[in-house]
Amino acid sequence: MNDPRLERLAALLLDYSLAIEPGQMLRLEGYDAASPLLLALFRAAIERGVNPYTGILLEEADEVLLEEGSPEQIDFLWDIDWAEIDAVDAIVTVWARRNTRALTRIDAERHQRLIATRRKLSNRLWERIDAGRARWVGTQMPTSAHAQDAGMSLADYEQFVFAACHVLEGEDPVAFWQSTSAALDTRARELSGLRELRIVGPDTDLRLVVDGRNWRGADGKLNMPDGEVYTSPVEDGTSGDVRFTFPAIFSGRQVEDVRLRFEGGRVVAHEAARGADYLAAMLDMDDGSRTLGEVAFGLNYEIDRFTGDILFDEKIGGTMHLALGSAFKELGGRNESGLHWDMICDLRSGGEVYGDGELIWKDGSFLRDAEPASV
Amino acid sequence: MSDPYHAKLARVLVGHCTNVRSGDVVLVESPITAAPLVLEIYREVVRAGAHPLQRLALEETFELLLRGGDDAQLEWVNPVRREDFDRADVRIVLLAPQNTRALMNVDPSRQALYGRAHEQLGNRYLERAAAGELRWTLTQYPTIAAAQDAEMSLDQYERFVWQAGMLDDDDPAASWTAFAEHVARVASFLAAKSELRLVAEDTDLTLGVGGRKWIPAGGGENFPDGETFTGPVEDSVEGTIRFSFPALFQGREVDDVTLRFEGGEVVEARAAQGEDFLRQMIAMDDGARRVGEFAFGLNDGISEYTKNTLFDEKIGGTCHLALGTAYPETGGLNRSGLHWDMVCDLRAGSEVYADGELVYRDGKFLDASLA
Repeated sequence: MNDPRLERLAALLLDYSLAIEPGQMLRLEGYDAASPLLLALFRAAIERGVNPYTGILLEEADEVLLEEGSPEQIDFLWDIDWAEIDAVDAIVTVWARRNTRALTRIDAERHQRLIATRRKLSNRLWERIDAGRARWVGTQMPTSAHAQDAGMSLADYEQFVFAACHVLEGEDPVAFWQSTSAALDTRARELSGLRELRIVGPDTDLRLVVDGRNWRGADGKLNMPDGEVYTSPVEDGTSGDVRFTFPAIFSGRQVEDVRLRFEGGRVVAHEAARGADYLAAMLDMDDGSRTLGEVAFGLNYEIDRFTGDILFDEKIGGTMHLALGSAFKELGGRNESGLHWDMICDLRSGGEVYGDGELIWKDGSFLRDAEPASV
Repeated sequence: MSDPYHAKLARVLVGHCTNVRSGDVVLVESPITAAPLVLEIYREVVRAGAHPLQRLALEETFELLLRGGDDAQLEWVNPVRREDFDRADVRIVLLAPQNTRALMNVDPSRQALYGRAHEQLGNRYLERAAAGELRWTLTQYPTIAAAQDAEMSLDQYERFVWQAGMLDDDDPAASWTAFAEHVARVASFLAAKSELRLVAEDTDLTLGVGGRKWIPAGGGENFPDGETFTGPVEDSVEGTIRFSFPALFQGREVDDVTLRFEGGEVVEARAAQGEDFLRQMIAMDDGARRVGEFAFGLNDGISEYTKNTLFDEKIGGTCHLALGTAYPETGGLNRSGLHWDMVCDLRAGSEVYADGELVYRDGKFLDASLA
């Protein structure tokens, strides 16, 4: 039986996110647990005159390579891997695991080595995406393992994921994301006119300078689900205190109840209820790791709870997130770092945000709707 | 729990069949149904110091393409696969159907179009294999669908497959090495012959094999293996052959096929069931009406017909003939998008003459050295 929600998600990814065209070469990739969505994508691609193919990997093969492979084997990339990146017109990556913690006990250095090998290919892909020569979108296929991480049954988690993507029965997903995209654009334009933001909440009073920086909407073209507006703040402008009520997760490690104090754009004091040592180590990673590279508003109100998966968490409607580390150059950001650690601040009850002194956000929502985009 | 037979089979495929060496690039091609075996093969390839690359497919995608694809989609050849075939050192291919009849109702002309478009890809890999540049093996992962076709339970079918692969022997690789020597003796016996005549019920067929090579297949490119095959002289095939077993191709079953040849070409094709499909496949291209392969099955560990060509064509005491493309290493010149093996049981009431001399009767070679 086909799940009609998967069929609608597949159509949304092809028609809206990738705007795929007949005759294009489409790679559908993921671990084996992604198969149901990969198959729905294949079917939808055939219907659209596209040339799809699957690139499926067994989740457990990584464990075999990491346990038994030599460094040369872990580093290996075949010429054809590069040729493939250069040949494809579009890629859908479907994230799906049967066990999200299977590699927890694997030697961390070897694991980082494998990630670095694969990053070489994804960097090449990003060069092509930036040059407008390829398109990419990443999405999540619900599995029991991810439901378990989110503390839900599989049925509840499926409902959560598909609601966040707006592919439930009776919805018109493409129309929804088109209008969301227009609204996010408008919101981003409005925010781009601001010079300063002040975030006020429980144990939080933080000022950020965003003067001259461009905001951008994340509208489902690169990730599904999506829904945020973000920019890179002025590097030396951040001052004050912030408390992150949700756990901050980086590279599978979890730090709880992070509090940071900024002066002159840099973290000058930090504490955490759990994982403080790891937090300290990450802050000392390099020159840029104590400075913010991103500030963003999460605006997907179907995502109403923390699941431990950044694809969803950073978009929780009514939250803001701040990232320590690397900034977005295309938005005017200058901070450089090996770190980009998104931390999420729940502003849904008692949170306020002021833009140039005026209250623009309260209890998790902007006070005014974004003005309709001009036609 | 992993099945110890998967690990044993993986060791034979990676070690004995394809002799994977450090630094080799090894394609592992399979439907994800065979994931447990793929994982063990992956492990063995890593242990050999080589680089396994997974080329895993979803079984249903081929049907979606054939049913829903337009001409351009059916004719699209994935450049990645072309590069794969051009560059890989080793291919390990697994069959693992979840439904062996899923393509039954697909328009045969769509299959033929796909076949023509991908002929070059297949030829490239056969050429590289013939030149010794690409080592490969093809095997079967036991699935419920395959068991159903064989009219066995999955448990019985698994035992059939492991037995045909001699996996219960202390050293399966050594058993296969010894068997390969027997197959090689049959091949060199046939190498000296220039004409074969096959006589059985409703069958009297002559094939010219002079100047062609008989390839001993004793445990390498198919697993399990056990046949010797050649590419007959293209215009030499004359007479009639009736295939006692159903002819299977891409999920279709054509029963009781009789073919009549003149000057190497099929001039009459009949079947009790599936005759239209048979005719459409033969009309695929010029090469599809000629014989690309003739072979004797030599594996006495396989005695039952299981509706699976990989096993059926190896049954000791059978012969098979393939319409379509020839294996270049035999010297066969025929090229086609088709390669359709049809198997004929010779175990009761059959004779084979080589250059006029009776050399084979009721499924056995008469020469004492070939027993």
